[in-house]
Amino acid sequence: MTSTRTATLNRWIAITVIAGLVILSLLVPEVLRMVLIAVLLAYILDPIVTAIELRGLSRTVSTIVFFGFVACILWVVFAFLAPVIVEQIQTLQQGANDVRTAEVILRLQMFIRAKLGFLGLGDFDLAKSIRVFGENLRNRILDFVVNEGLSVVIHCVTIPFMVFFFLKEGRDMKKALISLVPNRYFEFSLDLLYKMDMQLGNYLRSQFTDAIAFGVLTTIALWIIDVKYFIFIGAFAGLANLIPYVGPIAGALPAVAVSLFDTGDAGKAVTVVVTFIALKLIDDVIIQPMLVAKGVNLHPLLVLVAIIAGGELFGMLGMLLAVPATGFIKVVLQESMVTLRKYRFAD
Amino acid sequence: MSFVVKNLFQGGKREPAEQNVRETLKSIPIFTELSRRELAAVERILHLREFKANEIIFRQEEPGLGMYIIESGRVRIVSDEMGSSVSELGDGEFFGELPLLDGGARSATAIAKTQCRIYGFFQPDLYALIERNPRLGVKIVLSLASIIGMRLRAANERMESYLARAKENGAGRAKTRTRKRMTER
Repeated sequence: MTSTRTATLNRWIAITVIAGLVILSLLVPEVLRMVLIAVLLAYILDPIVTAIELRGLSRTVSTIVFFGFVACILWVVFAFLAPVIVEQIQTLQQGANDVRTAEVILRLQMFIRAKLGFLGLGDFDLAKSIRVFGENLRNRILDFVVNEGLSVVIHCVTIPFMVFFFLKEGRDMKKALISLVPNRYFEFSLDLLYKMDMQLGNYLRSQFTDAIAFGVLTTIALWIIDVKYFIFIGAFAGLANLIPYVGPIAGALPAVAVSLFDTGDAGKAVTVVVTFIALKLIDDVIIQPMLVAKGVNLHPLLVLVAIIAGGELFGMLGMLLAVPATGFIKVVLQESMVTLRKYRFAD
Repeated sequence: MSFVVKNLFQGGKREPAEQNVRETLKSIPIFTELSRRELAAVERILHLREFKANEIIFRQEEPGLGMYIIESGRVRIVSDEMGSSVSELGDGEFFGELPLLDGGARSATAIAKTQCRIYGFFQPDLYALIERNPRLGVKIVLSLASIIGMRLRAANERMESYLARAKENGAGRAKTRTRKRMTER
């Protein structure tokens, strides 16, 4: 058998194996989700490992150094924040200030009955609704801990493990994957991949850095204005900030609700809202331009549709990845059209 | 893991001895000045492609992405304008290096004359290499620029000698024409 025939056979074997892996991932979506998160994290973190590699270290050593560095940071952060986190979890278990919360609920209930009675809410029992909601939430959390606890532990161990190998071997994997492309389309595919990498890489990395910066700023701001559970709310706000339009509002809601039910003071809730508006302004005017975040220029309506579809299909992860995924498809289509015109594939 | 990757995508295909690849690279003017370690770094970003006899490697006027280094086999370079082979290249020779710098269109068509094993060295990988290892990147780009400079100088000399010959021929023809006219009178 000639070497060209062997290459063709190898290509078909590789394609079959990849197709098998894709089908397996679709049948076991949990695996697909873990691989997706790991690939995304490795892709975002790749320039840091490359920067370490620039110091003259091998790729493997650079990856190990990076993981050691991250572990140190996490250890330091955890050592400082552990007492605060434990305290916040305890407060969360004990519930909010009962007397003040009851007062706020009563006032809200009276307001709803008086003003929204025409909507059939004349005898609306807010306290009962909140109690039922709280019980459901507690049950769900308990279910999650019992049923998903093991899965969370597996995620926490498996994803970093995958990220390590994607960071270490990613370049070889990419090269091996592109080698499957037939000769006629090879340069075209390499060119397309490079352009996509340029556009999406910058966008994803700046979004990731922005989410961390926004999360840290929110945590500090909420700590200053004395809002309970500031660490959890700050982390959630940072993550939610990745979702355009809806994200910042969703990030602010828990802070407003907590301050309202905890203190019963509408003024405090207003302070929280103003803080979030100020934070968003700082993010839009200072942080994002500093990160040179080149957007993928998607129509707002398309962004909203993508977020809803992502949420329906893959939950929270789908909502977070909806915009980058839509941007990816847009860049692929756009660049394919531009590059295709230059090649004479019909010949 | 690299074993898995290699087995998964290359089906355990036996690569030619690394030493041979590096020797081939070392014989190419662009890489002559590189150390063994630097050659290994270049080798990692090369794409080994196999072409059947008469298969087109790239076409004239299409966008170019990089250069090719022949490991084994023969390649014909054909120009649409001339309608015939411009040159024929063999083991260890390279072609299509200009797009590595300017990413411009191909100035000729390259066709595998026999079954070929060819290494592709492409612009995106060169850019990534420059980012990762600027010292090595600069060495390669400078060598490339120097080769292109040498070719430009040689082309200039050819052009000058062609113009001088044309001038001489022109003057000679004018003298002959004047003598002819005078004789006729």
